[in-house]
Amino acid sequence: MTWRRERWSADHSLPIGVTKRAQVGELVRAGDIIAAGATLAGALRIPGARRLGLSPSDLNRELRARVGSDVVAGTVLARVGRRFARSVTAPIDGRLLHVTVDGDLYIAPIVDRWTVRATLDGVVSRSDDAIVEIEGDAWCFQGAAAYGPDAIGELTLGVDGPNADLAAARIDVRLGGRIIVGGARVSAEVITRAHACGAAGLVAGGVPPAGLRVVYGDAVTASGSPSRDDRPTVLCLMGFGSGALPQAVYEPFAALAGARAAIHTASARLFVFSTADIGQSETPSPEVGLTEDRPATDVPVESADAETDETDREHEEPAQTEEELTPSASDGSPRG
Amino acid sequence: MTVSTGTEAPVERARVTLDRSLRVALVHGREEASRLAVAQLALASGGQIVARLRANDPRSFVEAAQALRDAKPDVVVIHGGPKDERALCELLEALRLGCGAQRPMPRILGLVETSVAHALRLRADPFEFERFAAASEMVDALRAVRRARNDDLALRDTVIEDAARALATTNGTTALAVDVTERSTSLVLARPDGRIEAAHLVPLGLGMGADHVVVRASLDNVRRWLPWPIDAPALLERVFNRSRLSGGPATTEAAVLLEMALAREAISHALRDAADAALDVPAMRSAQSILITGQAASFPTAGQSLLVLVDGLEPSAVSTVFREPDEGRAQRIGMVVTVTPRRTAKIRIVRASGRSVAQVAPGSFGLVEIGSDVEVAVDGAGVRGHGRSGELGILIDARGRPLRLPERDGERIPAVARWHTALQAAADDRRST
Repeated sequence: MTWRRERWSADHSLPIGVTKRAQVGELVRAGDIIAAGATLAGALRIPGARRLGLSPSDLNRELRARVGSDVVAGTVLARVGRRFARSVTAPIDGRLLHVTVDGDLYIAPIVDRWTVRATLDGVVSRSDDAIVEIEGDAWCFQGAAAYGPDAIGELTLGVDGPNADLAAARIDVRLGGRIIVGGARVSAEVITRAHACGAAGLVAGGVPPAGLRVVYGDAVTASGSPSRDDRPTVLCLMGFGSGALPQAVYEPFAALAGARAAIHTASARLFVFSTADIGQSETPSPEVGLTEDRPATDVPVESADAETDETDREHEEPAQTEEELTPSASDGSPRG
Repeated sequence: MTVSTGTEAPVERARVTLDRSLRVALVHGREEASRLAVAQLALASGGQIVARLRANDPRSFVEAAQALRDAKPDVVVIHGGPKDERALCELLEALRLGCGAQRPMPRILGLVETSVAHALRLRADPFEFERFAAASEMVDALRAVRRARNDDLALRDTVIEDAARALATTNGTTALAVDVTERSTSLVLARPDGRIEAAHLVPLGLGMGADHVVVRASLDNVRRWLPWPIDAPALLERVFNRSRLSGGPATTEAAVLLEMALAREAISHALRDAADAALDVPAMRSAQSILITGQAASFPTAGQSLLVLVDGLEPSAVSTVFREPDEGRAQRIGMVVTVTPRRTAKIRIVRASGRSVAQVAPGSFGLVEIGSDVEVAVDGAGVRGHGRSGELGILIDARGRPLRLPERDGERIPAVARWHTALQAAADDRRST
């Protein structure tokens, strides 16, 4: 567990229904929208190739609407012939979602819109319908687990020292859009209050798992719970319970306060975008005030898989990658 | 890990691992038999089930596609009959939409008839589709995926299966291997003719799988096995922090007792999943030879391993119990005699040096010390069988089945403490190592 400044990559999983996304090579900043799309309801399957008398492989040639585009009821989706034309039209307003192997078309009504924002300043290195991956330089601290959607905001110290717990009384709407460093521990009350006040996210040495269950539900595990919905974002740096931050971890927080930062929950990482020289921190001893049963070593939780899946970890693939930034978290965040 | 195929000496040393976690999505037909088939495949292959979809799934096309995308499966296992063909094709379309951009792409393994396989193969593009005629072939294929980067590696589940098979063959009885590790729990029932039924659950264990035990079993069900009061938040912290620390032997009494509590629930939930997949759980409970391995066999005392086994498995007959730690030799630790008398009953215990009678009251639980590792036959109170006593002797368990613990702390904690004491399972009682 140490601060490191180097080149990182961050995956951003995209939900079904992407409309536009950043292209490979594009420069982005944390907080920028890198993909947008539509939330879709139950899709209708309508005959395509069969109605037009085509083989499924020929359907693509006759499509008049691009797969993934929005259509209104009555839009001609595909058409053949001139004098005795046959066509397939959209029965509803929605998104032309998918073409089956049989040449049928799926159209789904749009019920909402979504956006995914970058969590790293850098260059898009991969972009497809499932993932947008960004590579860039940043200060980074690898946490133990993270919960909620990704968050972007100004890094703000919420405590006076590494051993202090963040008190709920210190949180108000003035901290809206910021990532608050909560010291050794943040409670469920602090998490919910910070979310209610519009804080982008919380970073703390430890979080009581009972509090996490209150906020995220009983199914929450120690490996984190990245999500897309409007929930608080919490990054546990050291573990669970109360984890006094070692000086080597806390001092860089103090030095980087005020800088733009992002929590990438899928990989449980805090990125800070600053050129400040905080030194290459030594790996701190895990002097975590955790209730431990066994000798502590520095192996992250999800290395259950990593134990044997080294390649994935080498590439810093997150255990899960699914996120959408809450507008409140990123829109209001200062861009520096 | 050392695994013996006999009862005493280790016979094999190999590099054993669970290898990489295999994320498996299950897609099955409408029939219950189809659901059971994929459930058995998943359990036998040691895959982590990340999504389940059935032919008449109530989820919409988009929801099914999103579920598959979120699941990021390595492998999709499909089973269904001709009646399910159309619905399965629709689910394959959802897979194409959800995982078409996933890298590496998931492989599709089908346990289906040839005609259905033909239809599915056409619709599986661009995914690789393989058809298997038998479940065992598919299990081998799934294991091969797990082993992909290390062909010379012995998967832990296959080693446990070999051990169970060897024990059954050697003793000529049904044998059950119970393996609980940091992140997996396995139950393997082997019959003398070599047939096995296996359930390997990942993640579900004492370390990195500990939080999953709590999620599945609930915190109260883990806490009920502790012989001292502890508040829920404190216990939850211990469990969550276990999940992120690397393995190693428990160093404190509290840690040992917590591991024992987790192991009981892990075994209990493995049984539940096995029952849900229609595996022969009654045969597992009545197996005449039971081998405990992994961390459940590495507790400081043999009594602790035995207590975890009887509480988690709830054996229903006369069983001889062995334990074999990962870095140790197999040892016969005791014989379990399960009785459910309605009133005080007698059990006759016959051995070479003579015979004796044990009075068994309903709810009683304790060891009958009759000398180390002798051949014993028991008869009475609705139970009859024979075995070897092992290091601890004969454990007569008359607590009833299913095992019910008192709900109130004031009654439960003394009862659980009594059971620990009966087997010298409290960490202070180190009779054996």
